[in-house]
Amino acid sequence: MVQDQALAGIRVVDISGSVSTGFCAKVFADYGADVINLEPEGGFRTRNLAPLIGGTAPNASAMHAWLSTNKKSVRADAIGPAQCATIIGEADLLLDDGQEHGFDCGGVRSSISWYGRGGPYENFVGTDAQCFALNGMIRNIGPIEGPPIMTAGYQAEVTAGITAYTASLAQVLAGELGNRRNPVHIETSIFESCICFTDVGAVGFHNSGLQASRMGINRFPPTYPLGVFPCRDGWIGVTVLTPSQWHSFCKLLGMDELAEVPLFQSSVGRLQARDVIEPLMCERFETFSAEDLFYKGQQAAIPLARVPTMEELFEVDQFQIRNAMTEATLPDGETLRVPSVAFRLYSTPPSFGGPVAALGQHSGDYA
Amino acid sequence: MKGTHDALAGIRIIDLSMGWAGPLAARQLADMGADVIKVESCERFDWWRSWEATQAWIDDDGAEKSTAFNTVNRNKRNVTLDLEDDEGRDLLLRLVAGANAVVENFSGSVLPKLRLGYDVFKAVNPAIILLSMPAFGSTGPWAGFRAYGSTVEQSSGLPHLTGRTGDPPTMQHVALGDAVGGLNGSAALLTALRHQSRTGEGQYVDLSQVEGLFPMAAHGILEYTATGSAPVRLGSRHREYAPHGVYPCAGDDDWIVIQVRDDAEWQALKRVSGDALAGFGDVADRHARQDDLDARLGAWTADQDANELMFRLQQARVPAAATHRNGDLLEDPHLAARGFWQWRDRAVVGSQPNPSPAYRIGAKPFPVVAPAPTLGQHNDEVLGDLLGVSKDDLARLRRTGIIGEKPRMRGITPS
Repeated sequence: MVQDQALAGIRVVDISGSVSTGFCAKVFADYGADVINLEPEGGFRTRNLAPLIGGTAPNASAMHAWLSTNKKSVRADAIGPAQCATIIGEADLLLDDGQEHGFDCGGVRSSISWYGRGGPYENFVGTDAQCFALNGMIRNIGPIEGPPIMTAGYQAEVTAGITAYTASLAQVLAGELGNRRNPVHIETSIFESCICFTDVGAVGFHNSGLQASRMGINRFPPTYPLGVFPCRDGWIGVTVLTPSQWHSFCKLLGMDELAEVPLFQSSVGRLQARDVIEPLMCERFETFSAEDLFYKGQQAAIPLARVPTMEELFEVDQFQIRNAMTEATLPDGETLRVPSVAFRLYSTPPSFGGPVAALGQHSGDYA
Repeated sequence: MKGTHDALAGIRIIDLSMGWAGPLAARQLADMGADVIKVESCERFDWWRSWEATQAWIDDDGAEKSTAFNTVNRNKRNVTLDLEDDEGRDLLLRLVAGANAVVENFSGSVLPKLRLGYDVFKAVNPAIILLSMPAFGSTGPWAGFRAYGSTVEQSSGLPHLTGRTGDPPTMQHVALGDAVGGLNGSAALLTALRHQSRTGEGQYVDLSQVEGLFPMAAHGILEYTATGSAPVRLGSRHREYAPHGVYPCAGDDDWIVIQVRDDAEWQALKRVSGDALAGFGDVADRHARQDDLDARLGAWTADQDANELMFRLQQARVPAAATHRNGDLLEDPHLAARGFWQWRDRAVVGSQPNPSPAYRIGAKPFPVVAPAPTLGQHNDEVLGDLLGVSKDDLARLRRTGIIGEKPRMRGITPS
C-alpha cells in the first residue's frame, strides 16, 4: 500500500474469488487499498483458469495473476476461523458471492451474484454468455440466417466487477462522509449489470414498438456505414454517423458522387441503400493500407479505427506511451504483460502492475 | 443520518458530457444521491438528443423525445448556458466553484476553444476534480482522435476474439465502449472523490475508453501474453467444452445458448434430452464429433419453446439461456419479480420505463427519483436559487439566448 494513493487506508477482504470480485478488488488494490484474498485451502477458483503460464495451478494462472496484482493471499485454513472472523470484522469492505457464510463485516458487505436474490432466475447456473443472451445482445451478433454467435471470455463478470466497485466504494465513502453510520449489505447482479448495454434498446421498443433484428455480421441498425472492413493489409473500423462525417468519408474515399445524394444524408437512409454503397466502399478500402486510411480519416474528423490483433495491441504506440499494458510479477519471479487500470488519477496515480502473491504467502502475517 | 440510497448526498457534479459514456458515468452518481447538474446549450445541446437536428424536429419537441438521452440522464438537474458567450462561461465557472467535480467527454479541442480546462476550473475551485473521458485518453498521439462507442470496440482488439473462423473480426456493438466507458467513469470519479474527501485535494482524471475495454478482452490478451499465440475464433464453440453453442428453437428466430462444462452438466443434459444425445461419450469424443453433436442437439431443441426449455435445463443444472430480444427485457419475469423497471412520467413522452441500478440494498432497487430533465428545466432553480441570479437577469439571459428551454438551430436569433 502506498500512503498517498487515493484508496490508502481502506481494507478489502475477498472471500469469493470469482472473476467479478477479483476485478472489483483489483481496482481497489491498484489504487492503494489493502486487499486480502482470504482463500480456501486449494485457492480461489481463478487460480485454475486458463491459460496457465508454464506450470500448474495454484500459482500459474495468467487470469489470476492479472486480477491479483498488489493483493495479499491468506489461506483461511492456515489461520483458523477466529482469525478469519477478526480479519473480516475489521475490514472496511467484504466481497463475497452472496451466500451466507456466518461472518460479520463491520463495514460494507458487497455481494456479487449472477442474478441477485429473488426472481425466477435466482438459482440458475450462471455464465457470462448467458447474461449476454438474456440481455438481448447475442441475438443480434452473427449471420442473418443464424445461429447468433456467443460472446466470449469473462465480459459479464468484468462488467459486474467495475459496477460493484462503484457501488462498494460509494458506500465506503458514505461512511467516511457521515452519510452512513451502520454496516450495510449491497448486492450486485451480474445479469443486471449487463443490461447497461441494451436498456436503451428496451426503452426504445416501448416507445417505437421496433425490435432490433440481426442484420448480419458487423451490421447494426440504425448506423451505416459501421463495421470492420478489409483493407489492402489489415482491417479498418468504420462508424459514420453525422451528415458532415458522411461528406468527409465520401471525399476521403473518392466517392464524391454519393456525398450529396438526399437519401444518404441520414444514417437510416444509407442503411436502406447499403447494397449500393457497400460494394463501392469496399472497393475503395482495398486501395488503402489500414494504417494510412485510419490516420487520414482521423485527420478529416471521421471516427475510423485500427482493429488491432492481440499481437498488434502491444505494438500500438498510443497504448505503449500510456502504459496501457503493464507487468505482473509472478511468485516465481517471471513477469507477464497484463492490462493496466483504465483511468488515471494524475496526483494519486495507480500502481502499474505489481507482485502476485503465491497461495497463502501472507498467512503467517495474520496467524 | 442519510439513507443508504443517498450515499453521495452533499456531492455536486457538473456534467458537461454528451452521448452515452459521460452521462452514464454521472448518472450512476446521481442514482446514489449526488447532485448532478447537466449543462447544455440551446444551440449545442447533447448530441444524443439528435445528431441530425432540423427545425421540424425542434418544432415537434424532438429534443425531449430521445429514448437514449432520457435513459442515461435521470436523477439530474439541467441548465442551459451558451459557453461561447462570456456571461454563460462565467456562470459555468460559478457552478464549478461550488462543485466537487466536473465531467466532460468532448474531443480534445473543444474545452480549449471555450477557454476552459482543468487549470481554469482549478483557478476558481482549487479542490475541483475534472474527469475527461476521451476515447483514447488525454495523452499520446491519438489523444485528439474521434470515436464513438463502436470505434472504441473496434480499437480494443475485442472483434478479433468474437465470431467464426474465416469471418471478419466480429463486433458485438450496442456501442460497447460507451457503456463500459461510463461504468469506468463512475469508478474514476469516486476514486478521486475519496481522495478529495480525505485531503481536500482535487485533481485531473484521465480515462481512456479504449483501455476500459481491455479487461473485456482480457481472455485474449492474456492468452497471447502467456502463450505467444492469440486464441482462434471458434464461433460459439469452445476448445474445452462440448456441446457449447446457440441452438434453434420453435418460433421466429428463437434460439437457446447451451454450455456444458463438465461431466455432471453433460449427464444432466442427457437426462433431460432423453435419447437425443445417445451414443456420445466423454468430452474428447464429443469434441471429435462436434458437427454431429450440434446437429443432434439442434434437432432436439428445434421444436421447443426457448424459454420453457431454458427453465427445464436450468432446473437440471445445465447452463442455458434463451436469446432474448431487447424489447423482451421489459417483460422478463426475473426483472419483473425484482422490480427492475421503474416507470416514471416524463414530460412530452409520458410514462417511461427506467432501468434500476444493477446494485441494491435490500429487496428494492435504488429509487429513480426523477426522470431525465427537459432542456433547461432547472435554469431558474440552479441559476436563480443556487447562484443568486436575479429574475431580471434571468429574463435578460433568456432574451439574449444565453439560456433557454428550447433548442435552436445554430445561428438563429432567439425569439
